[in-house]
Amino acid sequence: MKNFDDTMVVSHFLRGGSILSVLFIVSGIILLFVKREGDGFTLQQIASYSYSLAHGIDSKDIPTNSIIQGVLKLDGIYFIALGLWLLIFTSISVVVVRLVWFAANKDKKFVIITLVVLFNLFFAMLIVPSLL
Amino acid sequence: MLNFIGIIIRFFSIMLAGVFSGFLGSLTGLGGGTILVPVLTLFYGIPIIFATGASLISTIATSDGSASAYTKEKIANVNLSISLEMATTGGAIVGSFVAIYMYAHSLSWIVYVIFGSVLLFSLYPAVKKLHSEIPKKTKPDWSTRFFKLSGSYFDERLNQKINYEGSRWYLGETIMFFAGFFSGLLGIGSGALKVLGMDWALNLPMKVTTTTSNFMIGITAATSSTIYWYAGFIQPMIAAATAIGVLIGAYYGSKVLVRISNENIRLIFFSVLIFLGLDMIFSGLDKINLVFVDTVFQFSFAAAIAVITILLLFFHEKFMPIGGKVSEKL
Repeated sequence: MKNFDDTMVVSHFLRGGSILSVLFIVSGIILLFVKREGDGFTLQQIASYSYSLAHGIDSKDIPTNSIIQGVLKLDGIYFIALGLWLLIFTSISVVVVRLVWFAANKDKKFVIITLVVLFNLFFAMLIVPSLL
Repeated sequence: MLNFIGIIIRFFSIMLAGVFSGFLGSLTGLGGGTILVPVLTLFYGIPIIFATGASLISTIATSDGSASAYTKEKIANVNLSISLEMATTGGAIVGSFVAIYMYAHSLSWIVYVIFGSVLLFSLYPAVKKLHSEIPKKTKPDWSTRFFKLSGSYFDERLNQKINYEGSRWYLGETIMFFAGFFSGLLGIGSGALKVLGMDWALNLPMKVTTTTSNFMIGITAATSSTIYWYAGFIQPMIAAATAIGVLIGAYYGSKVLVRISNENIRLIFFSVLIFLGLDMIFSGLDKINLVFVDTVFQFSFAAAIAVITILLLFFHEKFMPIGGKVSEKL
């Protein structure tokens, strides 16, 4: 593993993840403008950003387990959602790459430190929704 | 209700705000969000609840986009960032819950006031070390070795290899918890606090702090933004526009950063922070009718204070340079 340049791997992950997520976000926007609707909302509703009872759409209305289905239906909202989640996962992937790197180098101390960071990330992602 | 053309114009104008915020956020190590939230709320009238949600997403975009360039330059200290992220991610979870509580109880004005105060508070320790491109050497302590706080990088501008040894990890970790807390509460990457934590507490060179901060911002913001997603604080159209804009801005910011003087970074940092910080405080107090002047006067007053402070700093540096030896080298 000595010749393995982990910072370059991290750099490639960050670049690749950012590019992929932007591709999905841009495709989502194009789809929204072409179809003038998304996830059953009109373009006017989607573009509205007044936060009130009558507001258009926010992330609570986009179930994460429907994202793939939405993308397959070429729904712009779900393309954007996938792009946004890809950005989040790109950041997380950096931590995972570091974990692999520390484990491969038998650096127990930093493996534990990285696991604490991952625990916090997955707590926010998997446990918090049930608390809200 | 906007027509089709109006919606397109609105989308691109929000994206432009993202470009501006991303550029400046990347240059200063603050992350686009610190600039984006005030810009979206003060100039676009977007509810702070959505501005902070979009800001978090854009903050990740800034971090992912620019950190890829920085890691290539090998300035960011990745080991250091991982150990500090234990505190930032924990703080982000607590901060996000406090934000949800505040919005649910109509306390958004407090978020405005805290936002402005955090911006202004970030100035003091940074002003004190205005000329310290490379920090004074301090004695390494137990944490220097235990958490691998030492490193080196090649400074293009100084044309030399810079070796550094950080210390006082525990102090840095404490500041990082609050950086994470404010990230969750205010929807920002808390780059300012992270930079200050590494600059002041750990005594690391400015280039290492700004680039490492950029690296950490993404992971902190990823923690908060997942909670914001489930709370419904992310409006897809705004988040999409700002994420694209911020990425473009951050890309150009990172190109400029590796060749720019640290003093320039800090001067941009100060002027923008003063103006936006004061304006956010005024807006917050205005929401509970504690400000008795109109918005135009609030803007002008904040701008005037920012300009006067920068002029004072500029002349103070010119005639009474701090850390003269470093300045001569430059």
